[in-house]
Amino acid sequence: MTTFSRRKFLAAGFLSSAVFLMDGCSLFGVTTPIDTIKVLHRDLFPKAAELNIITAPYMHIIFHHSRISKSDKKFIKNGVKWLNEEAIKMHKNSYVKLSSLKRQGVLRSIAKTEWGESFLYNIMGYMFEAMLGDPIYGGNNKEAGWRWLAFSGGEPRPKKAFL
Amino acid sequence: MVDVCIIGSGAGASPIAYELANAGFSVVVLEKGENYSESDFNKDELAVCRRDMFTPPLWEQKHIINEYNEDGTFTRYDGAESGWNFWNGSMVGGSSNLMSGYFHRMKPNDFRLKSVYGEIKGANVVDWPLSYEELEPYYTKVEQVVGVSGKVVEHKFQEPRSTADFPYPPLQTNGATKWYDKACKALGYDVMPTPRAILSEDSLNRKGCFYSNFCGSYGCASAAKGSGRAALLQKCKAKIITDAFVYRLESDNKRVTRAYYYTKHGVRHSVKAKIFVLAAQAIESSRLLLNSKNEYFPNGLANSSGEVGKNLIFSAGGSGSGRFVFEKLSKEQQEELMQPGVFFNRSLQDWYEFSEDGQKYKGGTIDFLFEHQNIIPRVMQEVYDSEGNLLWGEELAKNIHKRMTTSRVLTFEVFNDWLPTDRCFVSVDENVKDTYGVPVGVINLYGHPQDLKVGEHLAKKALKVLEELGCEEIDYSISASPPPNLVAGGCRFGEDAKTSVLDKNCKAHDLENLYVSDASFMPTGGSVPYTWTIYANSFRVADAIKEQLKSIKNQS
Repeated sequence: MTTFSRRKFLAAGFLSSAVFLMDGCSLFGVTTPIDTIKVLHRDLFPKAAELNIITAPYMHIIFHHSRISKSDKKFIKNGVKWLNEEAIKMHKNSYVKLSSLKRQGVLRSIAKTEWGESFLYNIMGYMFEAMLGDPIYGGNNKEAGWRWLAFSGGEPRPKKAFL
Repeated sequence: MVDVCIIGSGAGASPIAYELANAGFSVVVLEKGENYSESDFNKDELAVCRRDMFTPPLWEQKHIINEYNEDGTFTRYDGAESGWNFWNGSMVGGSSNLMSGYFHRMKPNDFRLKSVYGEIKGANVVDWPLSYEELEPYYTKVEQVVGVSGKVVEHKFQEPRSTADFPYPPLQTNGATKWYDKACKALGYDVMPTPRAILSEDSLNRKGCFYSNFCGSYGCASAAKGSGRAALLQKCKAKIITDAFVYRLESDNKRVTRAYYYTKHGVRHSVKAKIFVLAAQAIESSRLLLNSKNEYFPNGLANSSGEVGKNLIFSAGGSGSGRFVFEKLSKEQQEELMQPGVFFNRSLQDWYEFSEDGQKYKGGTIDFLFEHQNIIPRVMQEVYDSEGNLLWGEELAKNIHKRMTTSRVLTFEVFNDWLPTDRCFVSVDENVKDTYGVPVGVINLYGHPQDLKVGEHLAKKALKVLEELGCEEIDYSISASPPPNLVAGGCRFGEDAKTSVLDKNCKAHDLENLYVSDASFMPTGGSVPYTWTIYANSFRVADAIKEQLKSIKNQS
């Protein structure tokens, strides 16, 4: 039980653990994946918030998930780091501290790179899982995502989340 | 000691369990995965399709894939690193739980491909040691026992039947099928409703289809889908042991004596039986035989011919699609198009055989169906613009909304023969182990050029239907990429013990009490999805085993 709790604690900490941001060779600052992902989700798909759907907390499920590989989790965390480092390179500040206009510029810049395109595609995949998956996972608030697209989820619906 | 021990529980295994247990024999089924019932199944897209809850995580169990290159070399892929997944359903009933149930019989000429169409350079085509006429009663039995719904319509390649029609009427279809039927008539194509292994009404102590809109890839909550679990295993007293990964079959020079299995916690068990039946799906069945080598069979169990793992086949072909858009439809047609739940269910077999440049070719089947209703992949298709640039923000939202609410995609799938060759086979890698510590299967992949040529021919016929229907964004892809769920071969059956692994009854030539009853036995695959033929053959093999068990009983 002790081991389990310890592991659970470590996993829970993954999204809020520090990501060290480098400006060239020197340490620029520290952020956490969840802070960046909250803003990133809003920048990528503002429609979700208009529908009262909050997608970022779903990333806690992803980081705990028994079926998401360690390398996939690491890729997201690295992507957050690289996104911020691009923001620092372009505008001398971390992603969340930039204006909306500048953040869009950073997104356009990284989308032209192989890792950036892959990272944004990946992040959007999980974001749409939150928005359009079964509401039992906490994102698709009262089926607002489905209603927006005139979609009916399949029956029977799950009685519990698959973690 | 039990009478029969079956390794695997899918379409190749379940008819044998059903027939022998119901005939009073003691049967044990060993299944690696879990057992589910109808009440466990739901349409959770995240669990079933995004997190693959019914297949093992690739970092625990994987394959090595060697893909043949034009220059004669192979490119090696690690399944876990590349995400190339050949698992299809590790659960009681196997992948038959998750199938769409597009059921077509093979045609008489499929059983004698070499005699009818001749040798093909670079391919190991042979006739089956079995005729369509011999298998026909078992196809009929599957219609009745597993349950197949449909409507027989006369067409050029309609195979002979011992009954006039299917025992269950066709499933309900979407209004757009009327437009399809009209388009086919205009093109001179024969309209054919797709038979499905789905009950259209309550029968066989199972519910009729609920039309949930999510069929393929999902377990069926109504039990209408004819999975080996719902249709057969739940209706017999075979003992099913789950969490049982069989890693070795022990034998002397004549008989298999014991099946050894691990639980996921690494606890070892074994089962003794008079007869062993292997049906772990083609790749895994060959892997188990190769991993079971011993002093009597140094190259793998039942492998004195050296043919175990050889001539692995998939279904060749590919798929295509076109989009119906509201702008071209009346209000009434728009409503018909978006009607959820009901099926499209149309097939074409007009070119099951065709001639080109004076040469006769074996062709295949085209099935038409709506794009899968899973919403996340449909939405994710929109994140790229037509130039391949990532989209986000308002523009993406606008595109998604328009596409999801004012259009619907009709797709087609082409099924033609994947010709057996020396370059497509199963082996094992002694240096790469799975989570059980057992050498993993290696899938060596090669598609014969004729497979692509035939696939192209068929796809172009299907495109004409989409054009006639006024679809937009018509596109298709025929490739040598193997569909992991349509796999066969590796232990072909035949009369000659030097060139085949199994005899006509799917008993190993080398052993008195080992049968292989999944799709491994097929020397060629026909140009249809395999499941119906696997079921039918397994019922046939069950009759042979019954005879052998009676004879053992009489001797003792």
